[in-house]
Amino acid sequence: MLIFTLRRLNLFIFTMFLLTLLSFSLSFLFPGEQLINISGQVNATPKQLMVLAEQYQTDNNIAQQYIAYISHLFQGDLGISMASQLSISNEIMSFLPATIELTLVALFIAMIFGIPIGFIAAIKHRKATDNIILTVSMLGYSIPVFWLGLLAILVFSIQLGWLPSAGQLSLVFEIEHVTGIQFIDILLSDSPYKWQAFQDASAHIFLPACVIALAPATIFVRLARTAMMDVLDSQYIRAAKAKGLSFRQIIYHHAIRNAMVHVIRDVGLQFANLVTIAMVTEVIFSWPGIGRWLIESIFQRDHTSIQGGLLALSSFIFIVHIVIDFIYAALNPLARESRNGA
Amino acid sequence: MNLLDIRNLSIVLKSATNPILAVDRVSLTMKEGEVRGLVGESGSGKSLLAQAIIGVLDEKWHVDADRFHWRGKDLMRLSVDERKAIISKDVAMIFQEPMACLDPTMTIGMQLTEAVDGEQLTGYFWQKNQQRKETAISLLHKVGIKQHKICLKKYPHQLNEALCQRVMIAMALAKRPILLIADEPTAAMESTNQGQIFRLLASLNQLKNMSILLISHDLENVTHWTNTITVMYSGQFVEAGTTKHIFEQPFHPYTRALVDSSPKSNSGLPAKSRLMALPGSIPILQHLPIGCRLGPRCPRAQQACVIAPKVTNYHGHQFSCHFSLKGSY
Repeated sequence: MLIFTLRRLNLFIFTMFLLTLLSFSLSFLFPGEQLINISGQVNATPKQLMVLAEQYQTDNNIAQQYIAYISHLFQGDLGISMASQLSISNEIMSFLPATIELTLVALFIAMIFGIPIGFIAAIKHRKATDNIILTVSMLGYSIPVFWLGLLAILVFSIQLGWLPSAGQLSLVFEIEHVTGIQFIDILLSDSPYKWQAFQDASAHIFLPACVIALAPATIFVRLARTAMMDVLDSQYIRAAKAKGLSFRQIIYHHAIRNAMVHVIRDVGLQFANLVTIAMVTEVIFSWPGIGRWLIESIFQRDHTSIQGGLLALSSFIFIVHIVIDFIYAALNPLARESRNGA
Repeated sequence: MNLLDIRNLSIVLKSATNPILAVDRVSLTMKEGEVRGLVGESGSGKSLLAQAIIGVLDEKWHVDADRFHWRGKDLMRLSVDERKAIISKDVAMIFQEPMACLDPTMTIGMQLTEAVDGEQLTGYFWQKNQQRKETAISLLHKVGIKQHKICLKKYPHQLNEALCQRVMIAMALAKRPILLIADEPTAAMESTNQGQIFRLLASLNQLKNMSILLISHDLENVTHWTNTITVMYSGQFVEAGTTKHIFEQPFHPYTRALVDSSPKSNSGLPAKSRLMALPGSIPILQHLPIGCRLGPRCPRAQQACVIAPKVTNYHGHQFSCHFSLKGSY
């Protein structure tokens, strides 16, 4: 297990190195001057530019420039936004938690619906239930998310009026910004209307999270269905049947656990996809997250923000990947050991 | 009274265009306390037959029999669930590739305690867990695993094939079965481990009077451990009789060829001469010959062989051949 952890850590460091290399090279690839791209100081006087050039070591070779950039990163300095002249790390810290909250809720919804439905489809293989589930999941996968988001607002917010259409929380609640994750902030606050605020936040997150969750959920349905069918076809299930275990016992004790092992591994891969969908959805639902902020930065040609935002989002995705890898190892004893051992 | 009496069991692979008769009217009887070998080449339907007996074939197979009696009870008249209840109570099965037959994500201990029959436990529900554990440990002792503490905590991939097979046998023993079906239990195992597993099965047969149906493709290997042998070829019944008869005076040309092809009977041959073997190979399921399926390969085949022969009984030695070797001894 220690080796497993060290390996993941090693992978993390290496991937972060590549990511920073990419974001560093972006400052050269974007149009305009590299120094301004990397620092975001569009209105700097020649004197200030001299100081910046000294800080980022633009006169030295590329390796030293990269090291200077990395040391800026370690100090939490990602430069300032070219559009708003605000510190990018502060902006990210205020926007990223909302995205984390939204994507994790969406992932949770996608998993608790997608995986069991996939299992049911596999158990009822080649029956009407299976065909219906497959058809519906195909349909769900094919719907473009921007259209679905607008449709959801149209139906549930405007026509039926059940759920709010935009934002993270109604403006009547005053919740102090502590962690940035709305639900935790609400629980930490000492407002007398805490539970009302909690309900309101749930109502706000429900619609965008469902819209994001739909496409990944349909993929989970298919993954879970294939995994479960493989498991049900395996030797140990046949042996368990010969042992005289009931079908229910076989499914609950042996099949689900083994099928989950296969599904969990692919959940990590789907997460990057889910974040991309979340970025579009944030724009539609005016969710104050990093996706919307990043898309706005792209529209404004705000090169410094794009670099910082990319770095933050991809490290978030990568951390989720590693966490899912650990869950996979917890479920699968084979993964915990080194390949050639035992 | 026979323990198991199967007459003319057929297994059909269902398909929309042409159903395939994978096992064609095979009969099998077993007495109490008997070790019977079921021998045939790979693809001769012996595993199918075993899986049909225990009822783990899936929906694409259709099983039909003229008679299927278990200890005098006619199982064909019972519903699927009742049949399953009786069979799973009294019959246990172990498979080839034991490691693949154990759930890879559960420890041996968890799987073994799960196999313990709840009805055998006496005590209140808070005592049952402890009792299950104790039963599991004693089961491991019965199959010759003394270091139960280590074994119970291991995952299947941490044990070798022979140990996994012992664990599988221990699980089979948990139900206190009357019949144990062993489907090539020693395939892909070293010969020392093979011997251990066979000796374990033999001792279970002698000490607990447990009947064993030993399925194998190796006639010579099986003869040391069995009382009686049934030979199958390409889904058809070939010959059944005591091990001595089958090995020394086989009536069917196929059994003769099997006996002759064993390394032992070939050991007298001069160097670089051809080994004894039947020409050709076992037919695939899509292109089965009509009549006796051995026909195209049989050295004694004649025109009459296009009609499948009936089973002939000669002093308890059954064979199905028009031109048997009975007169040649």
